[in-house]
Amino acid sequence: MGKAFDPSLIVDFIPTLIYYLGVTLQILAASVLLGMVIGIAAAILRVFRIPVLNQFVILYISFIRGTPILIQLFLVFYGLPAILLFINIDISRMDALYFVIITYALNNGAHFAEIFRGAIKAVDYGQTEAAYSVGMNDSQNFFRIVLPQAVRIAFPNIANSIIGSLKDTSLAFTIGVMDMMGRGETLIAATAHALEVYLSLAVIYYAVVLLFEKIFRLYEKRINRHHSVDVSVTG
Amino acid sequence: MIYLKDIQKSFNRQPVLKGINLKIGKGEVVTILGPSGSGKTTLLRCLNFLEKPDEGIVQVGDIQVKSKKATKREILSLRRQSAMVFQHYNLFAHKTVLENVMEGLIVTKKYKKAEAKRESELLLEKVGLGDKHKHFPSQLSGGQQQRVGIARALALNPEVILFDEPTSALDPELVGEVLSVIKAIALEGITMVIVTHEMSFAKEVSDRVLFMDGGVIVEEGSPLEIFNAPKEERTRQFLNRISRDFSVPFLEERAN
Amino acid sequence: MTIDILFIWTAFKEIIRALPITLILTILPLLAGFIIGLTVALIRIYKVKFLSGIANGYVSFFRGTPIIMHIMLIYFGFPLLIDQISKKFDLGIQSNSIPIILFVLTALSLSSGAYLSEIFRSGIISVSNGQMEAAYSVGMNSFQAMTRIVLPQAIAQSIPNFTNIFIGFLHTSSIAFIVSQKEMTGAANIVASTNLKFLESFIAAGLIYWGLTIIAEGLSFLIEKKATAYNRGGVQ
Repeated sequence: MGKAFDPSLIVDFIPTLIYYLGVTLQILAASVLLGMVIGIAAAILRVFRIPVLNQFVILYISFIRGTPILIQLFLVFYGLPAILLFINIDISRMDALYFVIITYALNNGAHFAEIFRGAIKAVDYGQTEAAYSVGMNDSQNFFRIVLPQAVRIAFPNIANSIIGSLKDTSLAFTIGVMDMMGRGETLIAATAHALEVYLSLAVIYYAVVLLFEKIFRLYEKRINRHHSVDVSVTG
Repeated sequence: MIYLKDIQKSFNRQPVLKGINLKIGKGEVVTILGPSGSGKTTLLRCLNFLEKPDEGIVQVGDIQVKSKKATKREILSLRRQSAMVFQHYNLFAHKTVLENVMEGLIVTKKYKKAEAKRESELLLEKVGLGDKHKHFPSQLSGGQQQRVGIARALALNPEVILFDEPTSALDPELVGEVLSVIKAIALEGITMVIVTHEMSFAKEVSDRVLFMDGGVIVEEGSPLEIFNAPKEERTRQFLNRISRDFSVPFLEERAN
Repeated sequence: MTIDILFIWTAFKEIIRALPITLILTILPLLAGFIIGLTVALIRIYKVKFLSGIANGYVSFFRGTPIIMHIMLIYFGFPLLIDQISKKFDLGIQSNSIPIILFVLTALSLSSGAYLSEIFRSGIISVSNGQMEAAYSVGMNSFQAMTRIVLPQAIAQSIPNFTNIFIGFLHTSSIAFIVSQKEMTGAANIVASTNLKFLESFIAAGLIYWGLTIIAEGLSFLIEKKATAYNRGGVQ
């Protein structure tokens, strides 16, 4: 299983790996932003029950939530080139990074869509009634009154979803992306100190997750500053 | 048989009970009145240690507990001396009406299931819910739920039944059915301590009325004494406030 | 490049033979996780001295790091640990004679324990205080109140969350493929490489996981309906 365990290596490996944290965060940022666009669009299609597209979205969401990320990665990796070849676009040389971003964008999109759909439904209908009574039409009501409130309601779940997505990016290396995990694999190949590398990676992921959680908590407080504090049930 | 000595309790450094001394005899029905914040509910909940007093001695029946040194065992024994009827009923949501009444008998009094069932069925008859055995609390009205709560308390045959504003959460038209059940029980000689806003009840069934304000017992006496000739100014003010809105002269004035 | 639809069926038949292992990798860790999770949740709720700190750290770490890390850490770490202990106490156990699946199961159990403990914790807290007080007032002690009154309701109300975790770990079993543990995704990869039909094989695998997920959601819906029947209400 390799040479003797050397704890000091854990610290030594961190700088090398952190250098590639940027790639991981890039994937996350791009896939979250794209995912938001997809998610809001899908949620609107669902909430307003646009025919045909609604069914399509239902299938899409069901599939994403019904299959492992690894399978999704492989399907996009092998499937996207095949589909695009039908319209004569050859992307077989495309950097694995883009496949990864597309996969995670689709994945996030499905999760965000469900979260937004739930949040939109959760906005008190009285708000819409009030909007109508001051003369707004459906579109104005939706974009000016309902959606902003839905975003506030959705925030905690979106935050959790983003943190989940961060953890999911740890699988991107399986299709050859040189992110933190990818660099870790090359380190292992070079040094045979697998355990130390994984411990370093675990520490980095843990630290980043804690940081994200803290930032999200602060942001949540900020966007809720005009709302009365709910008494928490801590028994 | 209920004995409270020097009970003190603070929440977040705000004193809520400032030294309560009280004796209640077997079979007595005692009503505690007072404005909100007077500490009356806290006092009631000290009797079964749902609130733990900071200082003082609580005794119910044979069990005496010194607040400062109260052990888990002692608190459990104390709780088994009494039974409580809650403002929000607190029926066991996942159990049927019958099971709710049986639960205490089986777990605490170690009855066999068949016996517990028999007893419980009788009690449910008594409170007028003989046909609702298999229903769940969520299928009953507030008044019905509270009557189950009373049956549940009666089943334990405790030294004292504690009522925490039993009708405050009920729609007005449901209050009557619960009050008549409570009155019937009072007439049977069961020791009861009731915190309530229902003045009629305090007047008609209690042996003794306590008026609390600001964490102390301001005045106590028979219903006649308290309602017709209160000695303390605070008591008078409270009674005036309560009856003012509903007095006949006031209504006559409005109609003109 | 065209898609060989017929091959999807061939791949399907081949991959589904690994279904039992996938189910083992899903169900066993969840059972262990159920016990770990409940224990940890209670320790955290009752703030048991000393243990509570460990419990908090455990949940925080296992929920704050990717599951593949858990598998890798246990996969590479436990053998070292076992060899050390074996040498010290002269137990004669060789880490490389232990089948991989045990390491995978251990990692997944610890992982699911952390997630399940959060579900238990929030489920228990969401059962109203009044239920506990009523239990005390009929003379129950803490243990009786918890097991007879609070937990049954907490679990019934948490069924959707439990289902999500089940589905999550069904999908997570696919990660075991990375450490060469036989299961469905690994089987799909083998079929793909042997026949050079990657897309078709993974489509087949995807369909199997999707189907299983839908079945799980359906069952969960039925179970939840029955378990929360008491809350259905409707005044008679």
